[in-house]
Amino acid sequence: MTGLRGKLSQTLAVHREPVSEFDPTLPIRAKRGDEQAFIRIVEFYYPRCLRFARNMLGSEHDAEEAVQDTFVRLHDSFSRFREDARFDPWLFRILANRCRSLMARNRRHRSVIEYGELPANAAAEPEVGADWAEEVRVVLDSLPAEQREAFLLRHVEDMSYEDIAVMTGAGLSALRMRVKRACDALRARLTEVSHNER
Amino acid sequence: MNDERDELIDRVVETLAEAPPVRSGAVARVLMAVRAAGARRVPFWRRAAWWAEDTNVSARAAGLLIAASLAVGFVMRGSVSDLGDAPSTPVATDIPLQSAANRGAESRMMPVALVFEQPNATSVAVVGDFNGWDPNATPMERVGAKGPWSATVLAAPGRHTYAYLVDGATLVTDPLAPKAPSADFGGDASVMMVRTP
Repeated sequence: MTGLRGKLSQTLAVHREPVSEFDPTLPIRAKRGDEQAFIRIVEFYYPRCLRFARNMLGSEHDAEEAVQDTFVRLHDSFSRFREDARFDPWLFRILANRCRSLMARNRRHRSVIEYGELPANAAAEPEVGADWAEEVRVVLDSLPAEQREAFLLRHVEDMSYEDIAVMTGAGLSALRMRVKRACDALRARLTEVSHNER
Repeated sequence: MNDERDELIDRVVETLAEAPPVRSGAVARVLMAVRAAGARRVPFWRRAAWWAEDTNVSARAAGLLIAASLAVGFVMRGSVSDLGDAPSTPVATDIPLQSAANRGAESRMMPVALVFEQPNATSVAVVGDFNGWDPNATPMERVGAKGPWSATVLAAPGRHTYAYLVDGATLVTDPLAPKAPSADFGGDASVMMVRTP
């Protein structure tokens, strides 16, 4: 073996396992200008951010836009990240703000083109017998944005109420109420669909 | 007030928790957008403060060290110019994105997404001239249990040679890329051409 092959075989005595867990030092390294650390953050968080954005916005295209904007803003504002702070709430605060901005833009857009064909998910009530996942999304979209956001962060993203409070600026009691109201609405609208499916 | 999770809410959560499909090249597009928005610069004094934190140097000692460095730099500035025609060969460093010599290159670096099918591997890393052929620099992540391995590297526009290191020991060329002899690699390596957008 010549050249680098020889060097590598000598230096690779330790077998490397693939990295699947998030390295908590990555945000600090990224803050200090380590571009490779920033790439690893994007690779690790992209699917999760896309899931939250899609659930919030109900559109793959808008979700991709929100996530891309989020990482651009994250990169620009890393110098303000406190190294003793938790990273998830900080990232999701940026993402949630981007989602709210896109929802506001879409509301303005819809008010301009109010006439014409309604989007497929505009029905107030889910149609019995339709696909369960579709029904869940229709009901989720019909929730007030604050309730949808709190429900997704608490139950789908598995965040603590304390972290959500830091993210959103809302009080703990208000957040618990939003989640409860969201659960009540989902239950009221989906119980029948669930029974019909079984 | 508790969360009142029950069977139905659990089912809703399970439905919503499914990860949406990530389109090919999505991460690379994000990194391109970040690049387009402008590379971030961290001032020297802030880097020095971070270094002091990491090495547990007291604030006073760090301040004295920074002041001494600035003073030496100020004095040396005049004498360095006296070197006249001394060759200014660029020197590669361990932290290329941060070095003064590479700041121009940093702003031109382009993200390149690499995907490699190797279902039976337990680890794969990318090695190439863009990461100094360092086997620890760019480990790849597996997409799913038996899915392809993927990673994103930063490379300056131009021609680059690279390979994949499988299970920490076996070097494999990219079956999707052309091959060319590489002195660094010691044989035929894979070739990528990186272009500016």
